[in-house]
Amino acid sequence: MSIVKDSGFEALEKLKSTEPPVFLAPSSISEVARTTSQYLFEKLKPFNPKSPFDQLLVDGFDAEQIWQQIDIQCQPLLSSLRQDVKRFAQNPKEIRKLGNLALNVSHEDDVDEMDMDGFDSDDDELEATESDGDEEEDDDEEEEDDVEEDEEEKSGDHEGIEDKFFKIKELEEFLEEGEAEEYGIDYKNKNGVAKRKKQNLRDDDEEEDDEEDEDEEEDDEFGAFAGGDDEEADKLGKARYDDFFGGKKKETKMKLKDLSEDDEAEIENQGDVKLSTHEKERIKLQSKIERMEKANLDAKHWTMQGEITAAKRPKNSALEVDLDFEHNARPAPVITEEVTASLEDLIKSRIIEARFDDVQRAASMPTKAKREAKEMDDSKSKKGLAEVYEDEYVRQANPTFAPTTFSDELKKEASMLFKRLCLKLDSLSHFHFTPKPVIEEMSIQTNVPAIAMEEVAPVAVSDAAMLAPEEIFSGKGDIKDESELTQEEKKRRRAKKKRKFKAESAKEPAKKARDDTTENPKTVTGSEEG
Amino acid sequence: MFPSKPFPKTLIRHQHQTSSFIASPTLKHSRKIKMLRRNIRLRKEYLYRKNLEGDERVQYEKKMKIREALQEGKPIPTELRNEEARLRQEIDLEDQNTAVPRSHIDDEYANATENDPKILLTTSRNPSAPLIRFTKELKFAFPNSQRINRGSQVISEIIETARSHDFTDVILVHEHRGVPDGLIISHLPFGPTAYFGLLNVVTRHDISTKKAIGKMPEQYPHLIFNNFTTQMGQRVANVLKHVFPAPKVDARRIVTFSNESDYISFRNHVYDKGEGGPKSIELKEVGPRFELRLYQVKLGTVEQNEAETEWVIRPYMNTAKKRKFIGE
Repeated sequence: MSIVKDSGFEALEKLKSTEPPVFLAPSSISEVARTTSQYLFEKLKPFNPKSPFDQLLVDGFDAEQIWQQIDIQCQPLLSSLRQDVKRFAQNPKEIRKLGNLALNVSHEDDVDEMDMDGFDSDDDELEATESDGDEEEDDDEEEEDDVEEDEEEKSGDHEGIEDKFFKIKELEEFLEEGEAEEYGIDYKNKNGVAKRKKQNLRDDDEEEDDEEDEDEEEDDEFGAFAGGDDEEADKLGKARYDDFFGGKKKETKMKLKDLSEDDEAEIENQGDVKLSTHEKERIKLQSKIERMEKANLDAKHWTMQGEITAAKRPKNSALEVDLDFEHNARPAPVITEEVTASLEDLIKSRIIEARFDDVQRAASMPTKAKREAKEMDDSKSKKGLAEVYEDEYVRQANPTFAPTTFSDELKKEASMLFKRLCLKLDSLSHFHFTPKPVIEEMSIQTNVPAIAMEEVAPVAVSDAAMLAPEEIFSGKGDIKDESELTQEEKKRRRAKKKRKFKAESAKEPAKKARDDTTENPKTVTGSEEG
Repeated sequence: MFPSKPFPKTLIRHQHQTSSFIASPTLKHSRKIKMLRRNIRLRKEYLYRKNLEGDERVQYEKKMKIREALQEGKPIPTELRNEEARLRQEIDLEDQNTAVPRSHIDDEYANATENDPKILLTTSRNPSAPLIRFTKELKFAFPNSQRINRGSQVISEIIETARSHDFTDVILVHEHRGVPDGLIISHLPFGPTAYFGLLNVVTRHDISTKKAIGKMPEQYPHLIFNNFTTQMGQRVANVLKHVFPAPKVDARRIVTFSNESDYISFRNHVYDKGEGGPKSIELKEVGPRFELRLYQVKLGTVEQNEAETEWVIRPYMNTAKKRKFIGE
């Protein structure tokens, strides 16, 4: 804390020394400004019991956020400031008193020059602000300074109960005055100090004793910046006055107290040396656990979120992630030198073997039957010449008796096959032939035995006639032999015969009657008819 | 052989009606109709034969069993006892053509070997300059091929013109921003279509300038197919094989299709047999090089959208990594 205070004070000095235009442009002065504001914030903290911040957080915060923090702290201070200013406006004498008091304090204390400087500057600033009567400052730091100074002045004023500065009576008067102001009742101001006290009292909270104490002894280093909010009447112990005017023992006490506060923070630093390895590991593990738990609470990474559309994940994020994808198809072959070499080896081996898979020309079916090449048999014939002639004659004369040759057998078989084939083909047309056209020829056939017509030398005799039986005999009905006839049929035949004979005989006498020319022709015809 | 019902006369009448429906056709139009009818008839035959396949396969299995039994001297299995005699006769009469069970798949390439293949090369619409260059290179790589500009032709038009001009294959090349990335080989008389993706394409133009790289021989090349072991692999090998004609025995050019875990590498080399025997063979790589990745085989030409897919790649199956369809 003390380190902060030192740097803070230096920063403050630096800021004060810079030109106003530097603040308008962003520059390195911002770092300085931050440390200063932190420092001043700490100073103001005792005056502000309701402040939620222990210290001004500047790391990683932007101007807005820092301002907000300061604002939260200063709001109540501002109201008190206003009242003080009003008071001072009414009673200018008090200002002088304050100023004298400050000077006195500075003389009495054996403090650094820094303090003196701070003191003087504080005085200046205080007067400046009060002369202006301006409560709203542009710079946060100046405002804080003023506030601090006011508070400190008041705290400086405040001593124990019933001191040379404070009297209960005055306090009461002050309270009444305040009420009068508020409610429009006119009241006389007697004691500026009392008023101030009352003012402070109104703003105070009782719970801030400790803080004030602590702040006081911090500020003690600078002397004039002593104390926190002394708006409490109860708090007015000698300790306060002693802090100002000879409370060096208290300083040290307070410092110790401060240290005691810092102990907890420091213990951890010092404790590294004291912790065992087990404890170190435990701490590491715990931090790790905390990190993991924090990660669990956060939203998951998109790769762990199950089905993700492109809209839900960051752009081009799928390109960076190692996706595990199972391909079912075999990958296309990469043609390397080895592959080519193996292919060429295969080709070479095939060439050497002359084993190709060419297209074979199929032998087409012959369209014409081959001419039968009669093989000339060179070997001597087994049959004698006479036997050959014998065979020939037999074949000629009597084809049935002749032994069939091989070609005959083949012919037979061929003809059989052809017949069968023809049958099958005919069946295709259901045996519906177109009949051959009948050419009517006339030829005279004599009824001579057939064989006589064909052969010269009758080896066999037959009585086969050339004419068909119908051509020889044109009869009707049942032809019976004489032996087969019955008596009546014999009679019938005889009768028929007789009639025929009579008819013929009637014709003949007609022929004889031709000599007799005198006869009447009619009578002749009549006899003919008879 | 006798059919149960006489051929319905009404059907004939209908057929007659269809022809008369198109009133007053011109000569060209009638030729078109004839082509159409011919195509329809061929397709019907094809489908009919496909239907018979099941039965044929059963017969084939039975014959196999009997053949085995006969060879090993074991008794013929009892279920075949009734048909044994007939089947045995058939086995005796079989020649190499009929011994193997024929599937409709084989029928697609049945007549392919009689004549040299005639290839039509073209690209997707609005090709970029690098793609055109690549197509030109492919024209040299596949012998007996012709490149046409795509213009704004529809696929069906291209196929029709190809059919009428007796092309056997149509090859389409696709790209992505100048890099060729797709190859479609379609066999023409209603043959199969194989869809490939191209990877790691290195064109001749990329390697060096025209002068430096020199000319490429357009000889009919020898072919090498490596590691096409599965049935699907054989099928793919068949498709690729019938794009090339039958080479001379002493051809100097070699085209290699090497399969490695379903990626087929295409390489084009020219070799020189040195004097020092088998060890001194000089291979010179010529022509573009790329990796093919088969992703679909359809049993129809490119234009037939409703054609049956024989095989399609399944890359998103969980076991896709473990399965290999073409080799191993």
